[in-house]
Amino acid sequence: MNARDAILGRLRGAAPDAAQAAALLVAPERPAVDESALEAEFLARLALPSVSASHDAIDTIADLPAAIARYLDAQGEAPTLCLPPDPRLDPCDWRGFTLHDVAAPAEVAALAIARRGIAETGSLIFETSPAAPMLPNFLALHHIVLLATRDIAPYLEDAPLPGTQPRAHYWITGVSGTTDIEGTYVRGAHGPRFLHVILLRG
Amino acid sequence: MSGFDTRAAAALADSTLKTAVERTAGTAEAKRTLAVAAFPDFEAARTRAAAIKDHVIAHLGHYLEQFEANAIAAGAQVHWAATADEACRIVVDICRKANAKNVARSKSMLGEEIGLQHALAEAGIGRIETDLAEHIIQLADERPSHIIWPAMHKTREQVSALFKAKHRTPHEEDSIAAMAESARRELREQMLGADVGISGANFLIADTGAVCTVTNEGNAELSLVPPRVHIVTAGIEKIVPSMPHAVHMLRMLARSATGAALTQYTTFYTGPKRAHDRDGPEEMHIVLVDNGRTNMREEGLADMLRCIRCGACMNHCVVFRQIGGHAYGGTYPGPMGAVLTPALDGLAPNRDLVQACTLNGKCQEVCPVRIPLPTLLKGWREKSWREGLEPTSMRMGLGLWAWVARRPALYRLATGLALRAMRLLGRRGWIETLPLAGGWTRHRAMPRPAASSFMAQYRKERRP
Ligand code: SF4
Repeated sequence: MNARDAILGRLRGAAPDAAQAAALLVAPERPAVDESALEAEFLARLALPSVSASHDAIDTIADLPAAIARYLDAQGEAPTLCLPPDPRLDPCDWRGFTLHDVAAPAEVAALAIARRGIAETGSLIFETSPAAPMLPNFLALHHIVLLATRDIAPYLEDAPLPGTQPRAHYWITGVSGTTDIEGTYVRGAHGPRFLHVILLRG
Repeated sequence: MSGFDTRAAAALADSTLKTAVERTAGTAEAKRTLAVAAFPDFEAARTRAAAIKDHVIAHLGHYLEQFEANAIAAGAQVHWAATADEACRIVVDICRKANAKNVARSKSMLGEEIGLQHALAEAGIGRIETDLAEHIIQLADERPSHIIWPAMHKTREQVSALFKAKHRTPHEEDSIAAMAESARRELREQMLGADVGISGANFLIADTGAVCTVTNEGNAELSLVPPRVHIVTAGIEKIVPSMPHAVHMLRMLARSATGAALTQYTTFYTGPKRAHDRDGPEEMHIVLVDNGRTNMREEGLADMLRCIRCGACMNHCVVFRQIGGHAYGGTYPGPMGAVLTPALDGLAPNRDLVQACTLNGKCQEVCPVRIPLPTLLKGWREKSWREGLEPTSMRMGLGLWAWVARRPALYRLATGLALRAMRLLGRRGWIETLPLAGGWTRHRAMPRPAASSFMAQYRKERRP
C-alpha cells in the first residue's frame, strides 16, 4: 500500500457537514474597528511601533512620482525605483527617476500597488500576477506602497481573494524585523527596513 | 543519571544559558500578556480555535483529500510520507531531479522533526538556513532550543563571537542591529542563488490548496520566490477548512507567539508561478507527512494535534525557564515537547521527560488551542507506570507511601513528624537544604510548610 492510501485509510470517516465548518466562524472574536472611520483606523495601526510605517496622501495617480521623489529625497536616497509593469501607473510621468523593473540584490526602493488595506492590523494585501512581481517587495530597503483609500476594509476576513488563486497572496504588516537575538527587536532583518504607504484619495 | 537528568543538570549549572533564556522568554511573556489584555475576548477566541482544530482532526481525511485536489488543480505536486525517512527521501529525490546544489530553507519545525538537514547533508546538497536564529545555530552546529526562537540559548556576546568567526564581512560595532546587518549581508546573495527553496507550513488551506507561511523577517519569501523549485514539508494536522478559519488561527498564533496582532509577513502560496508571472518557482511540491500523527489521533493524543507551534507553553513554563530547550533532548522542547517527544521517539527513552513537570497548569492556561498539556503528561506517566518503565527505587518508594497512606493513624504520625522537621529546617520561610533531597534543593528552595497538616486544619475549622 502506498503512503497516501495508508494514511487516508486510517483517517476516513463521514464528510463534515459544510454548515458545521461555517458555524465555527459565526461572530468571530476580533479587535474592534470603527467602520465609519476606516482610514483613520488604518493609519493608527500603521503608526504602531509593531508596524512603524510612514504615510503620505495624494489626490490623483499623476501625483505619485512627486510623492515618491519627496519620500526618497527625505530619506537621502537617489530617485531610483523598481517599478511593477502595471498599466494603472501609465498616467505617471517619471521624468527625473531612474527606473527598472527587475529588482537588484541590493535594491533601494520598490513600488507596489496594494489590493486592500486592512484597518484591524494595518496590513497591506497583495497578489502576484504578470503585472505584480513579488521579489522586489522583499529585496528593497524602502518598500513604497500605493493604496486607494476606497480599498481599505475593516477586518482580516476581508483580505482573502475570492475565486481562482494566484501563485502568491500575501499580507504585509510592517517591515522585516527580527527578535532572534535575545528577544531584542531589530528592523530590516532580511527584507525592507522602511515601509511607506501613499494613500490615493481621489 | 538518565539522559534527561544529565542534560538538565548541565543546563542548571550553566548560568549563561539561564540569562539567555530568561531574556527572550521573559520578553515574550510580557508581550503576550499585553496582547491578550488588548483583545476583546481571548478566552472565547481560544475556545473557538480549539473547536476549529477539533473539527479538522475529526474530519482529517476529508480535508486532506480536499486540500490535495485543490493544490493539484493549482499546479502543485502532492506527495505523501508515512514516516520521517520517507519524507526526507521524497525531498532529496526532488532536489536531485532539479540538479540542486544548494537549497535555501525557511525555518520549519517539521523539517527538524524529520531530520531533513541530515538527509540533505548525506545527499551532498548544500543548505542555507535563512531564518536568523536558524542561521546562528547552523553556524554553531547546534540544534534549535525553542520552536519560535531556535537560538534562544545564545547570548548576544556568543552570537557576536560566532559571526565574527564565520561571516565574510562581519560587524564591527557590537550591537544587535549590527549583528543582524552582518547576517543580512551574508545571507542575501546565498538566498538569491539557491536552486530549491524549502519551507514548512503554518497552515494548509483545504478549500484553495494554499500553503501559508508566517515570518517576521521575510526570509520565507526571499527563500521561496527566487529558486526554480519550491518544496513544502507539512504535518497532516496543519489543515484548516478555509481562509476565514485561517484568519482566526493567525490572530491566535501571532498574539500567543510574539504578542503581535499579526506577523509581518503572512503569505499563501497556491501552486507554482503562473504563465507570464515575472517571478516564482516553476515547480511546487507539497510533502504531507504523517510521522506518527495518525497514531496520536488513535491513541488518546488527538488533543495534541491541535498544536499550532506558538511556543507560549514553553515561555510560561517554570521548568523550561530553568533548563532551556536542549535539555529536553527531542525536536520539540517545553511542555508540548514533553508530550510530543514520547509519541515521536518512544516512551522508554523519554520516561523521565514526562516527569519533568510541576503540573502547575500554566501551559494549559496560555495555550491558544486549549491543549490539556498536564493531563496528557499524566497520561504518559500512567502509561510509563503500567508498562513498568519506572525505576525500582521509584516503584518501591511509591509502594511504601501507598502502604502508609492506607493506614491513617500511621500516615498522620508520619506527616506530623515530617512537618515538624521541615519547619525546623525552614526557619526563614524557605527550606534551602533538605536531607536526602539535596538534588531537589540545589537549584530551588522549598517554602516552609504550615504549622499543621491540611487535615488537621480542616478538622479544627469544622469543630463548632
Ligand atoms: S501546545 Fe499550545 S501553547 Fe504549546 S506550542 Fe502548541 S499551541 Fe502553543
